[in-house]
Amino acid sequence: MSDDDLDPAIHVPARLRIMVTLASLGEGDDLSFTRLQDLIGLTPGNLITHLRKLEDAGYITTHKNGSGVTARTAVALTNGGRAALDRYSATLRALLDSAGTPVTGTRT
Amino acid sequence: MNEETGTRNPPGPDEEADAQGAAVMDTQGAAVIMQQARERAGRELRVRRPVLFVTWGLVLLIGYGAMWLSVRGQHPFQGPAWPTLLLALLLLAIAAIITAQVVDRAASGVGGRSEVQRGIFVLALGAGYAALLIEKIALVGAGVSRPIQAVLGVTAPMLVAGLVFVATSASTTGLNWPRLILGLWLLAVAAGASWAGPVTVLAVCALAGGGGVLLMAAIEPRLHRA
Repeated sequence: MSDDDLDPAIHVPARLRIMVTLASLGEGDDLSFTRLQDLIGLTPGNLITHLRKLEDAGYITTHKNGSGVTARTAVALTNGGRAALDRYSATLRALLDSAGTPVTGTRT
Repeated sequence: MNEETGTRNPPGPDEEADAQGAAVMDTQGAAVIMQQARERAGRELRVRRPVLFVTWGLVLLIGYGAMWLSVRGQHPFQGPAWPTLLLALLLLAIAAIITAQVVDRAASGVGGRSEVQRGIFVLALGAGYAALLIEKIALVGAGVSRPIQAVLGVTAPMLVAGLVFVATSASTTGLNWPRLILGLWLLAVAAGASWAGPVTVLAVCALAGGGGVLLMAAIEPRLHRA
């Protein structure tokens, strides 16, 4: 097993942070774009780029509520995204185990 | 490796590289990022319940305690003095403001099922207390004695809160144990205190009700970890 076994759609710092943050929400919950940006600390442009890649992979959904000044873009993890993050965590744990590194923070 | 970000690139250019998906991240770095992201999300998106428990525990303890001090030794029973009722209202207003700020800090931007649950919680409490107020007016109009009004006035709000807590203790992230335990405790205190009479009911609700909520502030972090 090698680093190549880690899902490339998730194995990027910013996207990993996005996935873990969204996974911390309850099932059926979503997070507004602005709050996610605040939590992740990316520029809007960068965040949009990463969200598009995760959306293309089927790991997240985005939808817009309202219109005009009340418009709110919400981001949510899909069931497939949650499962992908679980697989990513399990692979990461296995890699860290095989390298003899203490495993911390890889539970989803 | 950058310890903060868990990547091998410096933070500035890394962000740009990230956008292209080209940042290199080793397994240790990934574990660090997961840990940091989870801790931050937990810190920012979780309602700080101990703060709420301390706030409302003090409201019950001081509010009911002050009323009890004002009715102690009354013969015949007249009810709490106006200054203590005003103090209780002031405490309620302060607690409501603190609660709104604590919940808003965590729930801002969070939508979906938990948003609906928060709405139902507020609606249930609001409707319950509105119904109690109407009932209180009806009882006064019907000429019910002051001691009975006092017992109902002290225990009924606690009954409503307890029932709403129990009924809304199931959430999208699982069973909210602190809310369930506290709800059952408030129901038990309200039912038990009703037998104490119009004066002692205030002391029981202050000590057992307020004390119970304050105790929950101390044990909630342990329940959360479990």
